[in-house]
Amino acid sequence: MSAGASKRGGLAGRAVKRAALLLAALGLAAVAWEVYKAIGPEQGGDILGWRIIPKTNDRVMPHVWEMLAEFGDPAIGSGDQLVWQVLLGYAWYTLRMALAGFAFGAAIGIVLAVLMTRLRIVERGLLPYLVISQTIPLIALAPQVTVIRGSLDLPQWTSAAALAAFLSFFPITVSTLRGLKAAPAESLELMNSYAAGWWTTLFKLRFPSALPHMIPGLKLAATASVIGVIVTEITLGGLRGVGFATIDYSQKVTSQPASVYAAVFAAAALGLIMFGLVVASEALLMRHRPREAT
Amino acid sequence: MSDSPDVHAVEIRGASMVFNDGGKGRVAALDDVDLAVRAAEFVSLIGPSGCGKSTLLRLIANLLEPTAGDVRVNGKPAEQARLDQDYGMAFQKSGLFEWRTVAKNIELPLELKGWDKRRRAERAQEMLELVKLPDRGEHRPWELSGGQQQRIAIARALASHPPLLLMDEPFGALDEMTREHMQSELLQICAATNTTVVFVTHSIPEAVYLSDRVVVMSAGPGRITDTIDVDLGRNRDDDTREEDHFYQKITEVREALRGLEVSAGARGIEDR
Repeated sequence: MSAGASKRGGLAGRAVKRAALLLAALGLAAVAWEVYKAIGPEQGGDILGWRIIPKTNDRVMPHVWEMLAEFGDPAIGSGDQLVWQVLLGYAWYTLRMALAGFAFGAAIGIVLAVLMTRLRIVERGLLPYLVISQTIPLIALAPQVTVIRGSLDLPQWTSAAALAAFLSFFPITVSTLRGLKAAPAESLELMNSYAAGWWTTLFKLRFPSALPHMIPGLKLAATASVIGVIVTEITLGGLRGVGFATIDYSQKVTSQPASVYAAVFAAAALGLIMFGLVVASEALLMRHRPREAT
Repeated sequence: MSDSPDVHAVEIRGASMVFNDGGKGRVAALDDVDLAVRAAEFVSLIGPSGCGKSTLLRLIANLLEPTAGDVRVNGKPAEQARLDQDYGMAFQKSGLFEWRTVAKNIELPLELKGWDKRRRAERAQEMLELVKLPDRGEHRPWELSGGQQQRIAIARALASHPPLLLMDEPFGALDEMTREHMQSELLQICAATNTTVVFVTHSIPEAVYLSDRVVVMSAGPGRITDTIDVDLGRNRDDDTREEDHFYQKITEVREALRGLEVSAGARGIEDR
């Protein structure tokens, strides 16, 4: 159908436009950084007695090109590898744990949402505790998770995946729960008139109508899973991913002030990759839906 | 009509429906309602908002259980009739699944009955031809107009060839032109498939044009107050709408409803 083809063309066009805007925004941020560095006070400044104007020296605000050049420098203590090669290895390590945590969190989140939809009593009893669980700082949980992991004889990376799952299941539970209840009353009556059972209705009606609601939750969970892994790496040690790199590089801040930013960029890129995976699945799953549903 | 008098398509005896019984918001939606619908008969339920006409339809569909009384469909208890998919249903909102193609929407009831793929596809095509949209099967519902969506909803309701069709203001959201067109289409479809119809509506001309019998209901509590036979014959077309007899029947229904208005303060009746 020509209408569908032209719409896909339009979608591709929109994607290019969005990417261009994103690059333009990044460029603007870099320009703003450099402009402030050029005209700002070298030793920072005070406003109403508060020291909030940042210093512009090379240690606090290295040049953008120095940060980028950092990726091409030899990495200290990693043989003859360059920083970008080392970071790529770290990023891949972190990404795998984040993916595992995200998948685990999504599975738990969806199962919980189904249970709460099926049994109101579970929803009433469980939901407040799930909300409370999210107020616990991740750093406070990390040691406990390690102890449990050790007692179960699981490999070390599972601690990071578990904490990533802990952060990512919640938005998925909430959005799926909301979505599963979004099926229109007349559609539920229709399924009822066909004498369709609860599970049949779940898969033929409730899940498909939940999908548009689930996607924002999945997006939040995707980036949260990266945060979960990085925080675990920083807290526990022993896991050599991007979180480890931020700590490692920050110790070299006097000799190579730009290297910290290299690790930060790597972490941001990971978050974007996870986010991008969800966006790509969304495009795939929602390709036959009307535009306003997304 | 020709059927034995003891097996009605729908038979309701002494049905009452009370919501929130014993609670503060107690509502007597229906009080001691009797209704019998013969096979292949077209019966409309009309009345002010809150008269329980949609509730009555849902009792027939077994989407609600009456608090008292007995509902039989096709000679069986209503629940058994629902489990056997003895009826199809269409609502004011077409309720098509936007993630399915039009053909897959029509196939939904057949899928749930466990029909195989080939048989489902054949039947879907047959239904698409019945509602005069033979080449729309691969479209998505949201690519169709409101009237076309409603036709697909009717095709879905009739896909398993149920003997009974239950409709809750199916044309309520359509414009007047489309609405009249759809009414004529519906009569043709029912004649072709010999389907019994129970039809809830707010519109007097719609009820008169479509029905063999118009059942007038009143609110607070919901009751049947009048039944008007519409002897306009079976072959009705747009000319029927111009006939004097058609207007007489409209007046008759209107007066039956106006009687209610004086006594109960009827709301929500379309006089067009």
